[in-house]
Amino acid sequence: MSKLFPVQEIGSLAKPKWRTKGLRQPLSAQDLSEAEEWAEKLGIDDFHDRAKSILKTSDDKTRAKEILELSTLYGLRLFETAGVDNDGVGGEQQRVEMYEHVIKAVQGMNLLGHVHSFDYKYFNKGVAESRVSRKRPIYAPEFLDVKRYAHRAVKVPITGPYTLVDWSFSGYYIQKQHGSSPKARKIEAKREFLLDIVEQVVRPEIQDLVNAGASWIQIDEPAVTTHPEPHEMELFVEAWNETVKGFSCKFSDHTCYPSEIGYKVLAEYAPKLEKCDQLALEFANRDTSRLGVDKSSREGYSDLKHFVDAGFTGEFGLGVAHVHDFTGSVSSDAGQAVGRDLIESPELVRDRLLFATKIVGDPAKIWANPDCGLRTRAWDISLTKLANITKGAELARETYG
Amino acid sequence: MSPDIQLAGIHPRSEKLIELTRSYERAKTSWSQVEVRLEQETKELIKLQKSLGFGHISDGALGWQDQLRPITQSLKGIESGTRYSRWFDTNTFYQKPIVVGRVSVGEIDPEKFLQTKLLAGEKNRKITLPGPYTFSQLSENKYYEKYPDLLVDVAVAEREIIKKLRAEGVSLFQLSEPCLVYQPYRATFRDESEVELALRAIRSVVENNPGEFVIQTYFGDASPLFSELLDLPVRGIGIDLFETDVSSLSEQTSKTLVLGLVDSKESYVEDAHWIADTARKFREQVDVQNLVFASNSDLKFVPQGIANQKLEALSKASELFEESR
Repeated sequence: MSKLFPVQEIGSLAKPKWRTKGLRQPLSAQDLSEAEEWAEKLGIDDFHDRAKSILKTSDDKTRAKEILELSTLYGLRLFETAGVDNDGVGGEQQRVEMYEHVIKAVQGMNLLGHVHSFDYKYFNKGVAESRVSRKRPIYAPEFLDVKRYAHRAVKVPITGPYTLVDWSFSGYYIQKQHGSSPKARKIEAKREFLLDIVEQVVRPEIQDLVNAGASWIQIDEPAVTTHPEPHEMELFVEAWNETVKGFSCKFSDHTCYPSEIGYKVLAEYAPKLEKCDQLALEFANRDTSRLGVDKSSREGYSDLKHFVDAGFTGEFGLGVAHVHDFTGSVSSDAGQAVGRDLIESPELVRDRLLFATKIVGDPAKIWANPDCGLRTRAWDISLTKLANITKGAELARETYG
Repeated sequence: MSPDIQLAGIHPRSEKLIELTRSYERAKTSWSQVEVRLEQETKELIKLQKSLGFGHISDGALGWQDQLRPITQSLKGIESGTRYSRWFDTNTFYQKPIVVGRVSVGEIDPEKFLQTKLLAGEKNRKITLPGPYTFSQLSENKYYEKYPDLLVDVAVAEREIIKKLRAEGVSLFQLSEPCLVYQPYRATFRDESEVELALRAIRSVVENNPGEFVIQTYFGDASPLFSELLDLPVRGIGIDLFETDVSSLSEQTSKTLVLGLVDSKESYVEDAHWIADTARKFREQVDVQNLVFASNSDLKFVPQGIANQKLEALSKASELFEESR
């Protein structure tokens, strides 16, 4: 991209109530009132025609398809209204979430039941019951809708193979191992499972996306930094390189919320990732909420240096906005805490970008983005945060004339 | 006598209970409805343990939100807000204790730790708590200038909590110390002096009542520390056989060894013959009389049905092991 500090989204947006309810049951006009309000804000000119069709149809599948298409359109227009340069797939409105959405489309995998994540949050964990393969296209149908409506560049986020395997039980793959110890068997099972997911599921999916016109694929790998051991990192690199082999589109990695040493370890291995044009990383979460381009004001960005020192020469997608609940203090010129949300000021975004530039050395290598997908924030908060990232990027650009 | 079988931490909630807690969170179910189900499942778990011949009965800590929470909530000088951290390399999270003042024991509500009513009549009650080293390692220290001071204060406070739980009839305390063998979040693994500090803290918790304690390690290889662990004045030491290099062990001990023989991170239910055989091979390496069969850590990482099958496999394996002696 020719302009400095382009802005991108990272993945998900919250799912509107009408979208979630409408997939389960017919909607009333009242259910669509929120959609009507946002239609005006986002310039969805044909909202009334679409709403009539959704309310009229008695066929569940037709209604679900229309609702998913409409919420995708809303997501794209929200990003566009905020001034984002790459609109992604409109906030992943067509996906359940990043794990289950894929596992349901994998032959040989079975969702076994819910396990605890934290408090009263759980996730449905899958097990490999036989050799895995792809049952049906996973992201390509969504991409075709996105392509119809996107006015700007599109990046397709997909869940990475390492994360899919790490978050699943190995089942079949464990049982067939004959290693000398339980640990050896687990390691070998994970490798075999991972390479099958790459070859049988992820690569066919990427091929479909590329054939459909996708030019940039973001591979989400949040699990990688939870296993800093060398054999796990080597496995991640092996799987990445197999995944991207032979494809000519742009690839980026998104990894967030690492352990204390997670980014340091990822940095060591990042130069080994073939065709990895960008690392989109979370930083705002651990940064201060005050202005400044000095080290102490921007302590959250210190890990960036590990990547530069290790020799990663690609772009950085810089997390400049927090996406979770915020409970800390914020100085008045750096933003505003609104309930559980932090609204970063454009000036804070600017300072984060300028500090990162000092480390990376080349402003052309830096994109601005939220730390992660914005699915936990209300749409008005997401819109404001993204708009401020856009304004902050403009301020940073002005510094370079 | 066949090896005892024990729960080694938090047991998973059923799909029904999960649905109720989710519904409660959405304010569509009352807490009393959740409690009724929680009690019912605890009773079922106690019944299951008895039917499988467990020597020590645990309530399964089905209501615990994470492995640290009841301790966190019982200490002064510690806050816990909305910050969650990953539980080692699993895809589960715990509320990070933030140390903001001198740590001391606060108000201890035994109900936060165990279902005393439901355990009435059980003479041998077991509870699993984080050990002082692991608890202090997984906290964020914003107060103490020197880490050892934090560790000592946590140990002193935990000793008081244990005293209170002892009065509630708990006769066996498992202190889980995974940080002794696995620290994926740190740039440098603990050195010798830190190990000595950790062991000293454990000693200070268990002194005067050595027969009541088991120190459980998991998620990492216990072999480099094994002989030092055996020197602790406790009833037993627990090791994770899915991580520990058994081939490098050659000790002799009169202590009880708790063997993590089923994997809490995998849904595959281990065959009882394989479990018994693995225990036999272990005893060829280590000269030990008293063994306990258990999962390598909390079974909360698998769905409840799987967890229960793993307990049944342990029970069957215990019988097979005894038959072959």
